[in-house]
Amino acid sequence: MNLFRMIPFQKFDAFTNMALDEVIMDGVRSGGTLPTIRFYGWEPSAVSIGIFQGLHNEVNPDMARKAGVDVVRRQTGGGAVYHDTQGEITYSLIAPLAFFPVSVLDSYAVICADIVRSLHILGIEARFAPINDIAVGEHKISGNAQTRRNGVLLQHGTILYQVDVEKMFSLLAVAPEKVSDKLIKSVRSRVTCVRDLADVTLADLSAALEQGFSHGREIRSEAYTQDEHARAARLAAEKYRTDAWNLRR
Amino acid sequence: MTNPMPEPTTATVIRKIPGGKLVRMEITHTEPPGRIIQAKITGDFFLHPEETLELLTEVIQAATLPLDPVALQAQLETVLAENNAQAIGFQPADLVSMLEEALA
Repeated sequence: MNLFRMIPFQKFDAFTNMALDEVIMDGVRSGGTLPTIRFYGWEPSAVSIGIFQGLHNEVNPDMARKAGVDVVRRQTGGGAVYHDTQGEITYSLIAPLAFFPVSVLDSYAVICADIVRSLHILGIEARFAPINDIAVGEHKISGNAQTRRNGVLLQHGTILYQVDVEKMFSLLAVAPEKVSDKLIKSVRSRVTCVRDLADVTLADLSAALEQGFSHGREIRSEAYTQDEHARAARLAAEKYRTDAWNLRR
Repeated sequence: MTNPMPEPTTATVIRKIPGGKLVRMEITHTEPPGRIIQAKITGDFFLHPEETLELLTEVIQAATLPLDPVALQAQLETVLAENNAQAIGFQPADLVSMLEEALA
């Protein structure tokens, strides 16, 4: 049974969240850090875009600025995601690549099973929906993304607790005249969230995720180290907050 | 007196790959299409390792016109194989077909 460090839910800004993932990847690669599962939120709310996306194709930067919403490019692929500060829990799992199948699709299935298990704890009949989603019926409840660098795998993803589609559209690069009531209803009908399906709090979801991700692993509950905080603060300033990174495509 | 050189043209093709992801290709080429000046590929796909996208883009940018789709697809597949890369949400054939559309 592999030993993992688990770090309970805590909120950070978007740039620190992305920097913490990279700092922990470096630590796992060097062997100085245990494989890690962390749960976190976004304070303030943020939009993250995939590493291959063009920022201006995806986000309305003026609206984001006015709304006090951060915009950050992830180091993983996938699409633009609105991370509401009250609306979701994000996880990152960072571990040696050797722990998981070589096939990216197969490794999505393995890690997403932890989320499915967590939602089952709350009585939600979720299922893995390849390529990288988790759905309840035909409705998406979780999106996930992965990168592999220097023998280390990072998979992160969000589990929706509550959804504000109108807020999401105000931030994404969709022409306002195209954001009709019909479109909002259409998107809302394709996604679901924990609060639609179970009478539970965000803390209940967090506890279920900790339990679901503990299955089959030896878990050591820990906090971030001072060194990780310091390195993440530097990396956030030098990379994730910069136009050179965020506007690179 | 000679006619001025026509301005290069930029064509954008956006495609949701069936069963895959969204790919956006921007191609700037001479007019009429004789040479690709710049290629840019963005989207919500996955590609591991991520740096492979730059290599695929370089191959597309260096493609000679008129396009030989079969040869270009083989070149793109070679890039993926040589870099032990996994493309998820699109395939080389999709990029070739999008390039053909951009040049049409």
